[in-house]
Amino acid sequence: MIVRVLIADDDPLIRDVLRDVLDEEPDLEVVAVAADAREAVELAERHAPTVVVLDVRMPYGGGSHAATEILQRAPSTRILAFSAYTDPGAVDEMRRAGVTDYLAKGVRNTELVAAVRRLGER
Amino acid sequence: MQPDDWRESDLFRLLVLGVRDYGIFMLDPGGHVVSWNAGAERIKGYTAEDIIGRHFSAFYPPEDVRAGKPDWELRVAKAEGALEDEGWRVRKDGTRFWANVIITALYDDTGELRGFGKVTRDMTERRRAEQQLTDRRRLLAHLVEAQERERQRIAWDVHDDTIQAMVAVDMRLQLFARKLPDEHRETVEQLDGAVRSAISRLRNLVYRVRPPGIERQGLRESLAIYLADTSMVGEIRNELERDPGDDAAITIFRICQEALTNVRKHARASSVTITLSTVDRGFLVRVIDDGTGLPDLDPNAGHFGLIEMRERAEASGGWCTVTAQEGGGTVVEFWLPDVRP
Repeated sequence: MIVRVLIADDDPLIRDVLRDVLDEEPDLEVVAVAADAREAVELAERHAPTVVVLDVRMPYGGGSHAATEILQRAPSTRILAFSAYTDPGAVDEMRRAGVTDYLAKGVRNTELVAAVRRLGER
Repeated sequence: MQPDDWRESDLFRLLVLGVRDYGIFMLDPGGHVVSWNAGAERIKGYTAEDIIGRHFSAFYPPEDVRAGKPDWELRVAKAEGALEDEGWRVRKDGTRFWANVIITALYDDTGELRGFGKVTRDMTERRRAEQQLTDRRRLLAHLVEAQERERQRIAWDVHDDTIQAMVAVDMRLQLFARKLPDEHRETVEQLDGAVRSAISRLRNLVYRVRPPGIERQGLRESLAIYLADTSMVGEIRNELERDPGDDAAITIFRICQEALTNVRKHARASSVTITLSTVDRGFLVRVIDDGTGLPDLDPNAGHFGLIEMRERAEASGGWCTVTAQEGGGTVVEFWLPDVRP
């Protein structure tokens, strides 16, 4: 089964490389890419992805806002926070918004792919 | 008259006449000068000859005379027994000085008002010194604040821009390495390793420049994380009755950071203890290490870290002192007032 993935990050370099890294995997498919929190909510609604890879600091409310909105519309969506921030406050905020997993930017690509796959299988 | 025959009142008169730091003189019940001492002459510029018999409103600036202040002060002294005032007064040559004045109503044994005793002190120098100290503190506080703002900006820029770009490059390199034949893969993997280690160094830099979430996770936790991140063995004793506000927390953190940097660089200590306690409605912090002691404890000798710690503490209205501990080691001790109600 193919895992359908939405990417949301305001950094274009990260967006592009994330898409390439995930699309490289035969069992993962990036269905949409958002550049801010608002777009993330819209695209999640339109594409109904299985997994959303969500940046934390983004325009229009940030990752926590996007996570809350997406889960309200589609509670079964799995959300992976992918952030440069690793302090307990940032992690807590995302957990409270309902994200399933939290990965710090800078992990190996293989770890990221494994985390997305794991969420897609749930 | 021989000294032996002097009565107490003569001695007292000599004392009053001879005092030079205070102007001490008497007014009659109507406010005219009836006696004059050396201090009054020095401060106000009038000789006894110049001034005796004149009304004491001569010492007040014209605006105070117009407002009736001299007579009002005598009335209050008469009613209350005494009056203390600080304000501008005028010397004989017309120049002004900042005076502390105490007027005491003098009654004789029958209860009749005999006049007023007046003690005047020239506070101009002290006022100037206090003003300068206040100005200096204000300037320091602005500097510290500007520095914090600037640090935060740099930290965010590095974090949101530089590190993100390098993370993207790192991910790209990993992707690239997978597609390369073995003989080239190793080179790209080395490159990837270099980028990853640069990312980790930048993260440490950002943390040192601006510890994230000191507002969120509190001072104690931030200090503990800092100790762990710099691989120092340490203990934090939190005996505070009330946690500091954000500004005080950042100042305490920064001074501790500076102290710990000194410990790490110079003291060759094996462990350090940070004690936070509530003293005099403020925060007393002690950073004590068991090392060899700092080579130069004189904060004026140009040791930048020590100066910075002291200036940060003073900018917040507190103090900071660095001493050698008996049996080796260094004690950095500082106190900041809790300015909240």
